[in-house]
Amino acid sequence: MVLVVLDHDGSKLRKSALEGVTRGRKLAEVLGGDVVGLLIGPGADAVAEEAKNYVSKVFTVTGADFETYTAEKWAKAAQAAAAAAGAKAVVAPASRTGRSWTPRLAYKLDAALLEDTLDSWAEGDKVFATRYSFLNRVLEKQAAGLPAVISVKPNTTPLAEPAGAGTVEPLSVELGELERKVEVLEKIVESGGKVSLTEADVVVTGGRGMGSAEAFEMIEEFADLLGGAVGATRAVIDAGWRPYSEQIGQTGKTVQPTIYFALALSGAVQHQAGMNKSKVVVAVNKDPDAPIFKESDYGVVGDVHQVLPAMIEEVKKLKSA
Amino acid sequence: MKYVAIIRQVPDGESKIKVEGGQVDLSGTTMILDQMDEYAVEEIIRLKEQHDGEAVVVAFGPERTEEAMRTALAMGADRGVLITAAGYVDPITQAAALAKVLAEEAPDVVFTGGQQADWDSQALGSATAEALGWPVITWTTAFELEDGKAKATHDLDEGAEVVRVELPAVFTAQQGLNEPRYPTLPGIMKAKKKEIKKIDAAELGVGGSKVEIVEQQIMELERKVKIIDGTKEPAAAAAELIKLLHEEAKVL
Repeated sequence: MVLVVLDHDGSKLRKSALEGVTRGRKLAEVLGGDVVGLLIGPGADAVAEEAKNYVSKVFTVTGADFETYTAEKWAKAAQAAAAAAGAKAVVAPASRTGRSWTPRLAYKLDAALLEDTLDSWAEGDKVFATRYSFLNRVLEKQAAGLPAVISVKPNTTPLAEPAGAGTVEPLSVELGELERKVEVLEKIVESGGKVSLTEADVVVTGGRGMGSAEAFEMIEEFADLLGGAVGATRAVIDAGWRPYSEQIGQTGKTVQPTIYFALALSGAVQHQAGMNKSKVVVAVNKDPDAPIFKESDYGVVGDVHQVLPAMIEEVKKLKSA
Repeated sequence: MKYVAIIRQVPDGESKIKVEGGQVDLSGTTMILDQMDEYAVEEIIRLKEQHDGEAVVVAFGPERTEEAMRTALAMGADRGVLITAAGYVDPITQAAALAKVLAEEAPDVVFTGGQQADWDSQALGSATAEALGWPVITWTTAFELEDGKAKATHDLDEGAEVVRVELPAVFTAQQGLNEPRYPTLPGIMKAKKKEIKKIDAAELGVGGSKVEIVEQQIMELERKVKIIDGTKEPAAAAAELIKLLHEEAKVL
């Protein structure tokens, strides 16, 4: 039996959930048993109607205790579902929150943790995974025994297709003392954009060379035009021009879109760790010696304030053609 | 109060790494205190300066980790405890060992870096918290003590939130939490005399690694590096760029 913890936004499954189902099915082929799902938090009951098309059973954990996320509560819920399902392996999204609760679960289950994996599979009673390490510069293959907790890097895995109707089973999870030690006082919702940065096919990132917060309006326009998301470098976040949630790099988000625009940024190693697996990298910088050019497929040496407006016009022409 | 930073020694991101026989070979690579752990060390030193108490650094790693620990001591931490073990040990197993030391130290606040620059792992803080039965707050960008509890701001997938946490608890550091200080010369001199207690991981009765690294390879994508000069005619360069993306790369 394989348990897949399904990420959702309260009304529908996220893309990462369907990546998780694909991974779960692949593991179950060898480990045996069904793939079961778990939905936690507000909206789980509604989303279960969609989710049951992908797995044989959907556990839902809802109620006042699960209105807000904490690593302790989510790990507890996943532990309860893993026990109810008799799961040998648990698959979860390697989102920021996913990576904060899965280590707790692995410890609870005395399981191996395979973190932020690109692919995963089972052979006999062992599980294997590939992942990046050393600031995204090394590809490694890991092996572990069962049970195992596997987190799935976003945008690495084909989305699962529906496979018939499963059942829905509400699971009641009682919180202990540990799960009541964190109190959420305030949510800071950042209008980060319409497209999720880690799931976007196009990412347009601006660096310090943009010069001002206002200059990012141009980046927003370009990203909107391409249906992409806006990213920013650490320097831009420090300057207060953009919110933390848009930071790309070792300490921000890791993205691997089809096309990555690096605009007016030099390309420090820490930044590259967040984007160096993008399919096509495009740089614009006025400094011909900027390190980012060596890491790019295409580049323009020039002033971003002149080049970017022209790029916007060219894309508009292309779209209307 | 007592504050602990869990630290690690990692390759300097700017230095080259190589693979020998299917495994990363770090001989000859410059090793440093993980830059993410610097925020953790800085935070516990500040806590000690503001509220009194003791700032202790704890690590799990090979003998050479002592160098990184000396850097933390030179920044201003009081003493260190190093659990020594050779080779790769996964974070869940490390957490079990660290928890034994931390349970004895009984700190109020534990900080560590949000992500490790060698294993690219985010697990150590959360796993250690679980091993101790303490809460964890990841990617902390602001922290203060308030009436015996901690008030912290931390990053989520989208946006952030402010939480109040009962202590003891574990926090992982995000960039922006503070501005880590550089060790001063007197600090470096003093650090040489500060205590580092070493414990063999085997003495803690913790099992071997649950995860094995079967094979590693350097994975740097080959880039085309087609650079257009747009210094004189930016509009023409932009047109050429978009054409290349559309017709050659076929991504637009």
